[in-house]
Amino acid sequence: MSILYFFLYLLLVTVIGLLYMGVARKVTAHIQNRYGPPIYQPILDVLKLFGKRHTVTHGVMHSLGPVIAYTGIASTLLFLPLGNHTPLLHFKGDLFVVLYLLVVGPLGMALGAGESSNPNATIAMARALSLMLGYEIIFFMATLPVFYHYHTASIYKVIQAQGVFPHWGAIIFPISFLAALFALQGMMGEKPFEIAIAPHEIASGPMVEYGGKYLGLLQLWHAVGIIVETGLLVDIFFGPQNIIWFFIGTFIVFYVVILVNAVMPRFRIEQAVRFYWGIPLLLAILGILQVYIWR
Amino acid sequence: MKLFNFSQSRSLWMMHFCTGCGAMEMPPTMTSRFDMERFGIIPMATPRQSDLLLITGYLTIKTLKRVVRAYEQMPTPRYVLGFGSCTINGGMYWDSYNVIKKLELYIPVDIYINGCMPRPEAIIDAFLKLREMIAKGEANAWKKYIENYEWYKKNQSEVFDVEKWSIKNEK
Amino acid sequence: MLKNGVLKMKNEEQIKKDIETTFGELVKVHIKRRHRIKVDAPKNMTLPILAYLKQRGFHQFTLLTCVDWIKKGMFELVYNLYSLDYNVHVLVSTHINRENESMPTAINIYEMAFDYEREIHEMFGVEFEGHPRLGEFLLEDWKGMPPMRKDFDTRAYVEEKFNVKDLTKELFTRKEQPYRGPGSNG
Repeated sequence: MSILYFFLYLLLVTVIGLLYMGVARKVTAHIQNRYGPPIYQPILDVLKLFGKRHTVTHGVMHSLGPVIAYTGIASTLLFLPLGNHTPLLHFKGDLFVVLYLLVVGPLGMALGAGESSNPNATIAMARALSLMLGYEIIFFMATLPVFYHYHTASIYKVIQAQGVFPHWGAIIFPISFLAALFALQGMMGEKPFEIAIAPHEIASGPMVEYGGKYLGLLQLWHAVGIIVETGLLVDIFFGPQNIIWFFIGTFIVFYVVILVNAVMPRFRIEQAVRFYWGIPLLLAILGILQVYIWR
Repeated sequence: MKLFNFSQSRSLWMMHFCTGCGAMEMPPTMTSRFDMERFGIIPMATPRQSDLLLITGYLTIKTLKRVVRAYEQMPTPRYVLGFGSCTINGGMYWDSYNVIKKLELYIPVDIYINGCMPRPEAIIDAFLKLREMIAKGEANAWKKYIENYEWYKKNQSEVFDVEKWSIKNEK
Repeated sequence: MLKNGVLKMKNEEQIKKDIETTFGELVKVHIKRRHRIKVDAPKNMTLPILAYLKQRGFHQFTLLTCVDWIKKGMFELVYNLYSLDYNVHVLVSTHINRENESMPTAINIYEMAFDYEREIHEMFGVEFEGHPRLGEFLLEDWKGMPPMRKDFDTRAYVEEKFNVKDLTKELFTRKEQPYRGPGSNG
């Protein structure tokens, strides 16, 4: 029964994630003074990609890469509560499990892209993994005060502990929240940190040899990733919400990311890492100092 | 199949492979004046990801070798759009020693746009026509390439060395 | 610049005088118009003139081009130089025989000449002595006569290569066509 429940859950998140991608394209189009595609465009794209026929293979790992990526992100949904909705699994310290599972996606991509032996893919994976060095530390350090404050490392417990409006994590720890927003931009791979994808520079990076069904799976991975990454932020910093307010919250966070994406150029990799180890790191340390002084 | 045709017609990813002068007409078609993204048509970076190959203008033999390779890497169904009079009969390069005269002898073409060069309105019109054809299941030029593979290879071998320029080390 | 109805061409005249005094009678210098000087030099004097002009301030090697004078049986090589100091173009031209005559390379004076010489070699078949890499450049897999020569019959070549019967009359009639052209349904 709970398996069926999980698949419904996954379907819901996937469809909503795809709609978010459509909104992102529409918003970007409006900013560029264009009309833009319909909001359901990514769903059509995915349907089309799954209907494509592929006769060429680059080896087993290349085909398994997107599967690993999608499974990794889907299994985070087991631990991620949508608002005050109880997740399927929760235990002491499940935050660390989620943080590890978030790495599985890029890693699966790295394995798959590596086998294609395309130089663009190799460059892109090197960039993606170095960028991780920037945002992972910031994200972890930014969420640390919240978990330290409530004496738990379980996402579910943190949500329950926060309570209603004025007791949200974002209001108690505004500095950490700001640092987490910076980290989110890199985690989602949006524009100033779109270094790994960079379509005009390294021909869409890890996806360079993927087409058809594999690319469709990667689109789904991206769609679920949007919800998981923004949802993690909303869960940790905005307290218990019902499921509708949870999606509104993720949408607002995602909208901010998209606006930044639409008006920004792209960093080089060393600029991006240097940026992360500047102001965001300082903000994260200030956030930790705040909780230290408070107690 | 009907669902696939519908979604394929609404989402055409074109390959960003620009030859000749027609490439100049693509930026206005993509950007805010004519905005082809509202039809779901966006440029993609690699042939593996794309459905639509635009031959924008004259095609030299040297470029034809690359075009054939890119075309063969695209997943089926794939569509080709010939741009301007150069792809139809050579256009103003009708007696040039290095420009192919008729594109459809070498790769199958779904739809041509005439003119030198076609305006963005004509390009959008061709996209809409192609979309209609795909939705009805009429755009089947890629099947012709598979059925008449030898005939196309023979034509290609008349202008360049097919053996030397074909994809060999495909795993 | 207009003084008493006459164009003043100070720089041009100075350069003309300098070249004539340095290289003597064999070199003919014409001022074509303002900002443009043409130097007609014999083959063995060309590279010294280029070296002299570079040292004189002509640092920019704009272009190397070739003209096929088929009736005279000559190739004319034209080295286009430009100076930002004087705002003057100098065209150094020299004639070599169409067949069996080569030209010493200019890459030791102007490195820019590297690709131009490769191109001239490929398009006209002129040999450049001492050039390290005169191979295939723009035309891939080209066999036979270089295509920019005047005696290259491009129409005959096209008719043969692209299998067209008569290029001027019926453009494309082929014997075998397995189906109606795909373009006709669009």
